[in-house]
This record gives sequence, structure tokens and C-alpha cells, in this order.
Amino acid sequence: MPDNDVIAAAKERLEQSGLPSTWLDIPVHWGVKAKEQATAENGGLRFQMLNVDVYGEVPEFWDNNTEIPRGAVPDTRTEQMGYSIFNKAEVWSDLCAELYEDAIADRWNSSSDVPWDSLEPIGADLERAVCQIATMMSEYGWTKAQTTGRWLQEISYGYIEVKLFLGTVVFDAARLFEVWRKRALANGGGLGRGGRNWKFLPLTQSYTFSEFCVASIMHDSMLLALLRRGEQLAQTEAERSIYRLCERDIERHLTYFVDHMRYLMLKEPVRREEIHRYMNKAEWYLAKDGDDTLYSAVAVIMGDGREGAQEAMADVAELRQEQIETYLGYLRQCHLADREDRLNLELRKWAGMVEPEAEEKIPV
Amino acid sequence: MVTADRLDELQMEPEAPELDLSWLNLDTEWGVVSEPGRKGLTLQQINKSIYGEIPATSEDSSARPRGAAAPEGATPRMTPWVLGDATETFSDSAALLYDEAVSRQWSSATDIPWDTLDELPEDIERAMVQLCTSLTEVEFIAGDVPGKWLPRIAADHYESGLFLMSQVMDEARHTDVFRKRALANGGGLLLQGGGGGLRQILEAEDFTQMSSMLHILGEGFVQSLFRLGELIAHNEAEKRIFRLAAQDESRHVAYGVTHLKYTLEHEPEKAEEVHWTLDMFEDTLVDPDQANPGLAGALVYLLGDGDVDEGWRLFWHVRRKQVLEYLHRLDVAGLGGRLETGRLHPALAGALDEN
Ligand SMILES: [Fe+2]
Ligand SMILES: [Fe+2]
Repeated sequence: MPDNDVIAAAKERLEQSGLPSTWLDIPVHWGVKAKEQATAENGGLRFQMLNVDVYGEVPEFWDNNTEIPRGAVPDTRTEQMGYSIFNKAEVWSDLCAELYEDAIADRWNSSSDVPWDSLEPIGADLERAVCQIATMMSEYGWTKAQTTGRWLQEISYGYIEVKLFLGTVVFDAARLFEVWRKRALANGGGLGRGGRNWKFLPLTQSYTFSEFCVASIMHDSMLLALLRRGEQLAQTEAERSIYRLCERDIERHLTYFVDHMRYLMLKEPVRREEIHRYMNKAEWYLAKDGDDTLYSAVAVIMGDGREGAQEAMADVAELRQEQIETYLGYLRQCHLADREDRLNLELRKWAGMVEPEAEEKIPV
Repeated sequence: MVTADRLDELQMEPEAPELDLSWLNLDTEWGVVSEPGRKGLTLQQINKSIYGEIPATSEDSSARPRGAAAPEGATPRMTPWVLGDATETFSDSAALLYDEAVSRQWSSATDIPWDTLDELPEDIERAMVQLCTSLTEVEFIAGDVPGKWLPRIAADHYESGLFLMSQVMDEARHTDVFRKRALANGGGLLLQGGGGGLRQILEAEDFTQMSSMLHILGEGFVQSLFRLGELIAHNEAEKRIFRLAAQDESRHVAYGVTHLKYTLEHEPEKAEEVHWTLDMFEDTLVDPDQANPGLAGALVYLLGDGDVDEGWRLFWHVRRKQVLEYLHRLDVAGLGGRLETGRLHPALAGALDEN
């Protein structure tokens, strides 16, 4: 219980000294004690444990455009800070706080956690191919960090967990950029050719956060399926660990993006068609870009050199199919299973899917 | 309706991409070998040959990594504009600071000895949670700002980009750790008010102006305060929070100082613009009308452990140190002389007076 005498005496001392004491009048929500909660066994003091009382109430609409912490008492003189997202459905996932702590627990260091000593000469074609893939991985890391980062200034403190998690996404993307750059410059190679990267426009041009999220689901799914081929593609233990570490990060990002989109589809089903339009756009750019350079580099690795590349193209086609299936699989998880029937025609070919018209003609 | 079996039958072979091997014959710099050193394979170690050459200007607004060959065919502009001149964003220390940031990440969940948070007298607990309310607010903006600038950094100057990405992460952790402290020991969040100046940092439309406010003056003051965290802390948990956060802030301040140094070395005429920015920002920081009613009171109260006179004495000790360190940082950056020329705000200059 508050000790009124102690507070009254404190107020008096402050006032005598010309200091404001109004902050001592604010009712505090006494009671939560970290000491009793956080133990080494349960992962320490995680954000979610303190998400209680008014501090844990996440409103459907947040009505304050300053940086006021959720649960604090407003100072109405504070300037507006230019946030634009005040709608929970636009950004929310119940998993954010936990994913934020997971990201920190899973942190890794590309300088010291990759066994760079395991690199060894792998032949000219393979080194070129690895470096070409590395160049394009770096490009995506850079784009992902830039485009995720720009949403921070849009999201209000009401959804602090989302912002904390996005901070880890930015940092993970930085590592995606630099660990592959390191790989390209460590083993007698160099960088390859940059991508045309029209496919990134849906990320850079998004007007709404959820538009950015579905474009991210597409790009992250494509990347994840590629990373999951790490065992086959890696030439050394160093690469194997890079594939593995990046895979864990991208899976975490997808967990958020997908859970958020699931939340949005439940809360605002009316936005379904709008979201499909964003997917139309993202898929169109991806199909148009084609990424032949990336897939050809993968083929050179799978074919163990340029001579075997053409034959390896069947394997590459399977990888591309896995990528599209991974993407559609994540969309099913967020109540967007109907995308399967509306997938871009070019991407249907990548996935070996029957064309929709042919499908209609099948006798039932 | 199509049955699953029927669909399987009609499933086509996935189409294979076109094989294009032109990238096997690029004339990018080749034969680069980097060996891991004592700290592993750092950015410093791969910044060699043409890959380590920082272009003074970059026309490239795409994501193409520095040193990679240009793609064939048409490419889109990725962002409306990037800051192409290195003097706008670069720092010679950015790569090193990023490497350090990666190796010094910590967890607010597991690296703070939360079990040392014993019950504090109610006035002290309230003062601490008030301070933490203000700090979580300041840190929140400190993370938004680098996020805002990320799309404007040229990929050719990726070191600055990486540093800012690490800052986004650091500030997320600071926002979180001070929120946690406010909520962890029976108190709660009190009165909003990060103090004047947050909006000025966020709204700046020139990177060097922003950086001199955020990294040098704002975070500089915060870092000086955190380094004196022993004076405020009442237990190991709080001491550790201030110590770890101070370590992070040192990197942010170092980036600001080295960026300004780089800019002024290459564009000395920019000095007056930065002075002007600091004139405005110092004025905002000490403006009583902008002051957060909670922050100053809580800080003085904590410094004196409830003895307000003693708190004031220590407050001026802290402020003196903040101002001295600020002036020193400006000296290092090549922007000395604010005190000598009478340009430093009188309220800050007054803090240097021993009496
Ligand atoms: Fe900070
Ligand atoms: Fe900072």
C-alpha cells in the first residue's frame, strides 16, 4: 500500500526546492514483482510477463500521436510525432513480444559464429556461383532492412511490441546482408552481378503496413525454401552454418508476418480483395524479374560446375516449385488459402500447377 | 470441385528457368581472400581491394552491393532519393562500430540480475519509475529516427547503413529495458515527458543536422548520465542496466562524432550549419517550458536519495560532466570553440562554473 506520509514529505521537499512534484500524485499500479517471476529456467524477465494491468491492455485504436509509453499519464503539451498507424488490426500479432525475446535469445555474430576456417578452394565455377548467390542474398538483406526500418516512424507506442520485434527484423536483415558479403569476399572470389530487382518494388512502394507484410511473406517464403536447401548447396561447413542461421531468422520473421495477416483477415475480412491486389502486384514483379541469374547460379552448384548446369535445371525447377508451395503454405495459415486459385499464371508454371481454365474443365 | 487425386494426375512438371551463364564471365574484382582474425571475420577484414573503396559520391539508388556488377537491362529506382554524397552520412568508424554492436548485444531478459530488485522505499521507487518512464520514451524516438533514415542511405555507403540498423536494435532494447524496470518492482509508468528536443530530432530533414542533435548532444548527455548510473542505481539490476546501456550509447555517440568529423573535413563550410542546429537544440534542451516536469524532479530526488539539496549538488556535477564531455566531443569532431566564442547556451556554460 502507498505510504502517504513518505510521499507527502517527498512532495514538500521538492516544492521547497522549486522542483515539480506532480509526478508524485499519479496513482501507480502497484503489485507486479519481477523478482517472483523471472528465473533462469523460464528465460529471464520476458516482456510478456510485465504485460499486465493497464500496461498490457492493447487498444483496438490508439489515440495518442506522441511517444507516450502505453500506460503512462499524458502530458498534453507534447508535440505530435507524425505516427500514422493507430489501428491494432493493421500491425498486431499476439506473438510479437515473445518473438522479440526469441530473436534476442537467438542472436548470432557473423564474425565469430561462422566457422570461416572451414572455407577451402572449391573450384572456379562453384566459387563464382556461390558468390553470385551471396551477392543477391546481400541485396535482399539490404532491402529488407531499409523497407522494414521505414515503418518504425509510422507505428505508435500503443503497439510497442510490434516495433520492438521489427527492430530485431532490421538487425537480422543487416546480418543477412553482411554475412553473405563476407562469404563472397573470403574465399578467393568477389561479388557477382546485382539483380534487376524490380521484384523489390512492392516492398519499397507499399502504402500500408499490411501490404508490406504480404510482399514480405512472398519474398521471405522464396528465401526460406532456398535456405532450406542449404545442406545441398553449401560447399563448406561455413556455408552450412550461414544457411542454418539465416533460416532460423527468416522463419521467425514469417511467423510474425503470417500471424499478423491471420489477425487482420479475422478482424477486417472486408480487406481480403484489397490484399489480393497487393499479392497480384508482388507476384507479377517476381514473375517478370524471373531471377534467371540466381537460379542459374544454383544450377551450377547443383550440377557441380557449368557442364552439369543444364541437367541440374530439373532440380532447380523442383526448388522453384518448393518456393511457391512454401509461399502458398504460409498464405493458407493466414486464411488466404484462396490465393491458390488466383496465383499469378507464370508462378503457376513455376509450381507445375494446372492452369485455372484447365482446372475448370476437369469433370467432377 | 476437383478431387485431390484428379489434380495430382493433372499436375504438370514445374517449368525450369532459363539457363544463363553470362555471370560466370564478369569483370568484377576477383581473387579476394579474407582470413578471420582474433575477433573472427569482421567487416574491417573484408573491406579490401575495390570492395573497400568508399566512393565520395554514389549515383546508385538500388540495393546493389558495393563492387558488384550492374545488372543487365532496365532497373528501377528503389527509393525516391538517396544521400549520395559520402559527406552526408559516412563515418570512418561505422564498420568498426557495427562489428562492436554485433559482438556486444545483450538481453534485457537474461543479462540483468532482476532478482536483486528488492523492495525500495516508496518515494525512491516512484522516482525511479518516473525516470524510467521518461527514458523509455526517449529511447523510443531514438529508434524511430535511424529507421526513418535507412531508406536514404546509399548501398555504396553500406557501413553507415549497418551502423544505423544496429542502432535500431540497441534502442529497441533500451525502450524495453527501461519499460521493464518501471514495471518490475511494484511501481508503474508515471508521467509522460521525454523532455524537449525529441520532435526536433525526428523532424530534421538533413542527416548531419539530425546526427549532431541525436548522436552528439542528445545521446551524449544520456551517455554521460548513464556512466554516472552508480549515483542513481539502488541495486545491481539498475547498475547493470545503466552500464550496459552506456556501452551502447558510446557507440552511437562515437558514430555521430566521427560522422561530423568526416563531414567537416570534406566540407568545412558545413560547420556554421551545424553550429546553428546546436544553437537551436541547446536552447530547446534547457527551455524550462519544454522541460518534463517528471524527469528533472525524479533525477534530483534519486541523486540525493531523497535529500533534495544533495540531489541538486549532484545534478550540477552530472550536468557539468555532460557539458564538458559534449564540448570535448565537438572538439574531436572539428567543431571546437563554442564555449570560447560565447556560442554555448548560457545555461549550459553556467554549469561549468564550479559554484
Ligand atoms: Fe538508447
Ligand atoms: Fe542511443
